[in-house]
Amino acid sequence: MSGLFDVFRSEFGRIFTVRPAFGVMVIGAAFYALLYPQPYLNEALRNVPIAVVDGDGTQASRDFARRVDATSDVAVTMVLPDLASAEREVQARKVSGILVIPQYFERELLHGRSSPVALYADASYFLIYQRVAGAVAAVARTVGAEIETARLIAIGVDPAIAVAAPDPMPLTAQPLFNPEGGYATYVLPAAFVLLLQQMLLMGVALLATMAGIDFVAIGGNVARPGPLTVIAGKLLAYLALEALILPVYLLVLPYLYGLPRLGGVIPILTFAVPFVLAVAGLGMVVAGIFRQPLRVQLILAAAGLPLFMSAGFSWPSEAIPPLIRWVSYLVPSTSAISGFVKLSQLGAPLSAVKPEFITLWCLALAYNSIAVLLVAANTRPAAAVPVQPSHAV
Amino acid sequence: MLVRRDIKPGFRLVFWREVGWLRRRPFLLGLTTIVPLVLMALLSAVFSAGLATRLPIGVLDLDSSDLSRTIIRTVDATPDTAVAVRVGDLAEGRSLILSGKIHGLLMLPLNLQRDVFSGRRPEVVFFYNTQTLTTGNLTVRGVNAAVPAVAAGIRLSLRTARGEPIEAAQSDILPIPVQTHPLFNPTLNYIYFLLTALIPSILQVVIVTASSYSVGLDVETRHRLRILRRLGGGLWPAVAGKTLPYTIIFLLVLGLSDSLLFAVLGLPLHGHYWLLAIAGLLFILSCQLLGTLLALVLKPLASAVSIATLLTAPAFGFMGIGFPRLGMSAFALGYGALLPGTWYLTARIDQTVRGTPIDLSWRPILILTAFVIGLAGLCAWRLESRKRFAQDGDAAAASQPLAGATS
Repeated sequence: MSGLFDVFRSEFGRIFTVRPAFGVMVIGAAFYALLYPQPYLNEALRNVPIAVVDGDGTQASRDFARRVDATSDVAVTMVLPDLASAEREVQARKVSGILVIPQYFERELLHGRSSPVALYADASYFLIYQRVAGAVAAVARTVGAEIETARLIAIGVDPAIAVAAPDPMPLTAQPLFNPEGGYATYVLPAAFVLLLQQMLLMGVALLATMAGIDFVAIGGNVARPGPLTVIAGKLLAYLALEALILPVYLLVLPYLYGLPRLGGVIPILTFAVPFVLAVAGLGMVVAGIFRQPLRVQLILAAAGLPLFMSAGFSWPSEAIPPLIRWVSYLVPSTSAISGFVKLSQLGAPLSAVKPEFITLWCLALAYNSIAVLLVAANTRPAAAVPVQPSHAV
Repeated sequence: MLVRRDIKPGFRLVFWREVGWLRRRPFLLGLTTIVPLVLMALLSAVFSAGLATRLPIGVLDLDSSDLSRTIIRTVDATPDTAVAVRVGDLAEGRSLILSGKIHGLLMLPLNLQRDVFSGRRPEVVFFYNTQTLTTGNLTVRGVNAAVPAVAAGIRLSLRTARGEPIEAAQSDILPIPVQTHPLFNPTLNYIYFLLTALIPSILQVVIVTASSYSVGLDVETRHRLRILRRLGGGLWPAVAGKTLPYTIIFLLVLGLSDSLLFAVLGLPLHGHYWLLAIAGLLFILSCQLLGTLLALVLKPLASAVSIATLLTAPAFGFMGIGFPRLGMSAFALGYGALLPGTWYLTARIDQTVRGTPIDLSWRPILILTAFVIGLAGLCAWRLESRKRFAQDGDAAAASQPLAGATS
């Protein structure tokens, strides 16, 4: 048992003394906590600039444009004479949409006919498109309902019925969990999980590739601990580190950045245990494959973005090909993002994340078993292996 | 070190030495070719559907009338949503949403049909999960199209039943229809929006980190920098010969993945292919120079690679694809503006989906040119100051052992 404690103490110390590991696991954690959320902190787009091409120039058309301008989503920043000049402004990225109000807009309305407007919205950025299209559609609906009510009252329908008539079956779309549809609230809880994985993965792999130092640190007089003890001791050290960092990322940072959290602390921390063990195990396996610290860093650097996109969070897992979906379960982040988001953002009980919880335990068991085998295979001829220069490739 | 007499130091020597290195170092070659290609292939597979259709939602039908069944059929028929389950109560629907099996729940209240036809305006409620923003927005789009369509049918039939002609009734129920045209991406396809932007983002990480690594191998110690300078017959040809093999590799990687995007996944090329190619070359060069600069400024090599990773790995958010730069704070705007990828993506979107006219296309390309010139200037300044330093300390450097020599 003292062997286990020795390994734990040595590995925990190495996190803070081996410079690259410290840089990734501690400095990196602080850096990303500050930097990563910056683009999203405004949560939503407001006052997206659009142009109006008013071919009518009447009271009704100006009134319609003014009401579009009055929404918080879009702002009318240009009034242009024709569609061609407005399209050029869109190409120049000065405006993100064109509202065309055709000639006779008012006349058609006064005659009780249908009077269409056209909206050209920049769909090369989907969030911009949604804002512009949503805002104009909402204004057209409201103004349209007023016109219909007015027409009905004009032909002698009782006002109370006339107000109800345009919308006999109102649809209320009730957003759950992220009521404002905020972008930071959407992306950060999941991105924080991925960041935790990438930092721990890289740190563990760096420490594992720099093996050879740890036995020196333990001291020559102690019998070399067995492979199982080595891995168990290391895992304890990583759990101890993540006991500090993970609550900061999943509880403190969301609080500081004002993200809503519905879930309790206990389920989140319970779920975190297999997550940390699986990521640490995977880190040791990665180290076993690439064996040199710089290789590990270079290979893992670009992997974050694809792993995030294949996790079934920002792109629905229903649309991901089944083969990719199955392979992606081999990476802890796939289950972890889904599980942590459900627990903290949706306030789900632990029972709702049972599949993710079990997957993570299986991954933890599998990867750490491989890690034990790797250590066992490496310890026998270890004496003959010299400490390799850090960057020979 | 013995140099054979027939080999002249110069650009070509360093160039071929680097090519030889790449052949003898499968890791470096793999890092610059296989790794980005595999990651890009993975992303292409993830987004290969392009559109997410028939997302599962649940229905709580408390009415079980003709009308409620019509609504359910219409919602199921929209491309966005599919009615996957009928639930018995709200609690069941909630637990299905929590477990992720459905993305929304449509609730049709008791006496819906009776109340609609007696003008009591019963409310149809759609609960949807906006924690997953893309999915939530897609399901609400489907329901938003279906339920008002059913309602419009009812309003139409009420009017025609009273003897109103159908054309008049139609214009009555929708006085101001909006004809919405999505510019540049008419089908709102995620391949043309997201995938085409993700691929250069991955390449940016790979180029900057791999460049700082490969340059770092040669400049980490004064001694090695001196060897490189001698081989190149001067610092400039040496650095050019060192960089160019990778420029060619990255151009091939970008060209290969782009031809896949254009030929197989159907990404449109509405602009000018040569502008896209120029932007791509400038993007690769500025990323390489950024990596080189980091290797020249930061020592040891491991720190240069670490900082390169720290700077580029979280860069995607700053480049303004998912959340546009329009809505960012001043700090995020500034940080994004310092990334070559931000401007390359602007030029790329201009030349692929937008088909921006030439006279409006120059800004991102000029900014990328400025990046290349500026970064090259900074690298030159670092190299010159180190050269002077190296000459001053030549004697000291000569006595340095060949520690950690590359294998």
